[in-house]
Amino acid sequence: MADQGGSQHGIARTSRVRTEEQKQLEQEKIRKYRELEEQVRSHVSQNHYTPEVFQLTSRLLKLNPEYYTIWNARRRLLISGLLSKPSAGSSPSRASPSSSPSATTTTPSAASSSSLSTATPPRPASPTAGTSGTTAEADEAKDQESDRDVLKSELNFTIPLLLDSPKCYWIWSYRLWVLNQAIERLPTAVARRIWEEELGLASKMLSKDQRNFHAWGYRRHVVTQLESAELDGSSMAEAEFEYTDKMIRKDLSNFSAWHSRSKIIPRLLDERKADDAARRAFLDKELGLIRDALNVGPEDQSLWYYHRYLMLNLVNFVGHPTIAPAFTQEDRVTYVIREIEDIRELLEDYDDVQLIYEALFDYTLHLCQLEERQPDPEERVELAGWLKKLMVLDPMRSGRWADLERDTGLVAEVAALER
Amino acid sequence: MTDQNVAEEPPLAISAHVQYIQRLDKRRDEYEYWLTEHLRLNGLYWGLTALHLLGHPEAIPRADTIDFVLSCQHENGGFGAAPGHDAHMLSTVSAVQILALLDAFDDLEKRGLGKARVGEYIANLQNKSSGTFAGDEWGEQDTRFLYGAFNALSLLGLLELVDVDKAVEHITQCANFDGGYGVSPGAESHAGQIFTCLAALTIAGKQEYVNKARLGRWLSERQVAGGGLNGRPEKKEDVCYSWWVLSSLQMIGKTNYIDKDKLVGFILRCQDTETGGISDRPGDVVDVWHTLFGLTGLSLLDYPGLEPVDEVYCLPKSTVDRVLGR
Ligand SMILES: [Zn+2]
Repeated sequence: MADQGGSQHGIARTSRVRTEEQKQLEQEKIRKYRELEEQVRSHVSQNHYTPEVFQLTSRLLKLNPEYYTIWNARRRLLISGLLSKPSAGSSPSRASPSSSPSATTTTPSAASSSSLSTATPPRPASPTAGTSGTTAEADEAKDQESDRDVLKSELNFTIPLLLDSPKCYWIWSYRLWVLNQAIERLPTAVARRIWEEELGLASKMLSKDQRNFHAWGYRRHVVTQLESAELDGSSMAEAEFEYTDKMIRKDLSNFSAWHSRSKIIPRLLDERKADDAARRAFLDKELGLIRDALNVGPEDQSLWYYHRYLMLNLVNFVGHPTIAPAFTQEDRVTYVIREIEDIRELLEDYDDVQLIYEALFDYTLHLCQLEERQPDPEERVELAGWLKKLMVLDPMRSGRWADLERDTGLVAEVAALER
Repeated sequence: MTDQNVAEEPPLAISAHVQYIQRLDKRRDEYEYWLTEHLRLNGLYWGLTALHLLGHPEAIPRADTIDFVLSCQHENGGFGAAPGHDAHMLSTVSAVQILALLDAFDDLEKRGLGKARVGEYIANLQNKSSGTFAGDEWGEQDTRFLYGAFNALSLLGLLELVDVDKAVEHITQCANFDGGYGVSPGAESHAGQIFTCLAALTIAGKQEYVNKARLGRWLSERQVAGGGLNGRPEKKEDVCYSWWVLSSLQMIGKTNYIDKDKLVGFILRCQDTETGGISDRPGDVVDVWHTLFGLTGLSLLDYPGLEPVDEVYCLPKSTVDRVLGR
């Protein structure tokens, strides 16, 4: 499984000799922790879904946010206690289950959780229902107000935990569940405001760690929800494209931002109803942006990955959306040749940067592929020279260079260089 | 790109690592031990697999281990991380892997709730319309769970319980232009997710969907000057990626795309040769997770004295051969 809690990252090894006093303190800490754990577990197993138990889960989760079973207990506590019951007849849920990420088709322990939810615990947050004169509508409004407060307080509860443990899956997942409850239980406008604030949190997390892929994934999810009909949304492609701009300007080597950009572009152009001229201008601008970046950081893999993405738009254009689908063969060839020439110029300032030679090698083969021909003798000599350079500069990947040498039939040419 | 700064690496400290793993369950006087109970079953799988690779399968008593695993099973067939913890896909997969390792599916049948119930639990976590898998009833979806499901179900011989084609279709939607895979459609390529997607495709017999040339290149670009591998561009190297990247290269037949000797050196330098265990980078605190993935990495690199590991299941090859009858 990919990285998960419990593994240590980046903590220096120190000799761990504890004094007698430290040992005693640790024993005391363990005793208190286990006592709290025992308390929560015994209440939960007996379906004691009270505000006091709820507070106990808060205490325990602050000590150990990885404790997924306690997050689950907290969900059950909310469903069967603090949150309103869906009233018969009314339809508080506008969310279609299939589009909500938390809705799996079957819940394996549905039996157990439904039996738990029949244990009607008190709901201290709302006054006793049925007071004279209240209509069902007023009841529903009150319920929604109270639900909103409960859900907001849950969101607030997880923020300090997330800031402390930004890579903890369970917190992110719990938070999403709460947010989905907002869609199901609250009026659309209210739920929307809550999700909008969530985008702020995603930005905040990304400003702390620009490559945190939980946070990027989370942001993508939040945006998708905000765009959805469920939240009366519309496309945010322009805003998200600008966001990648901002992140890239802050740090050119942010591959996460470049990646995100590559994913937004096809949709952005469609939504702009960009014509062929606009698409050409767009591609020119992107190539200009990445070229400027490469001029200062030709060793940066992130930049080259994005450059490769743009080049694939030119040479690998069948079967998927591309930036300039109407380009003629001639256009494509012209663009690839221009890129090769520009990259060649980089060599004047950086003649020992491996990624430059790789790009020249690749794109020359792209050019031949576009023109449906084999490399000519002159190109073969150049290709062999670049490959030889790669073998010298990067012996770690010699197996890859050997494969390239074999697949392109350059063995003789490279050998000739060796003499 | 020169190795002038690279210190001489120590040999593999087999007995220190065995003792380190044996001690893991005896650390009840440490607060950390109690804080990580939600990973107990996963940790047991990591430790036990490491012991098998080290050639000391008996270093943790077999009968106690099976008893403990069975004590984690819920009525619904799933396993929690420890008694009293809710069932989850990840701990259920660990349970199946441990039982496979110990040749104990019979115990599951006789004393536990049986294979069929476990298979049902996992199959019920598949979203029938998208093909994806959730980790538990609360619904977080991730390609890790999809791989886990394929791994455990195929070991149990129950892969037919799920819609394999739908799941495969979902994986293809997670593919990126660089040949890699992300955690969900639209997410950037990440070595851990590449392993899960590629291994799931391999179990399903659908490697034809993989762009091996581009993926091989991307994976080879994970090796940094010191010999270690990172998980994404411009990130630091880390021992656990020795496994995610290297096993993926093995699955597509391209382990020659990196410098194996340098990677061996990097992993060996991450050992704590005195008290045992392996860490993410040299000099850091060790843990059982990095200990396992350091060893599986060394095993794939044919380091002498280690049992061969299966690159798809992350179990000893002999275990997978026995269970799958191949
Ligand atoms: Zn790691």
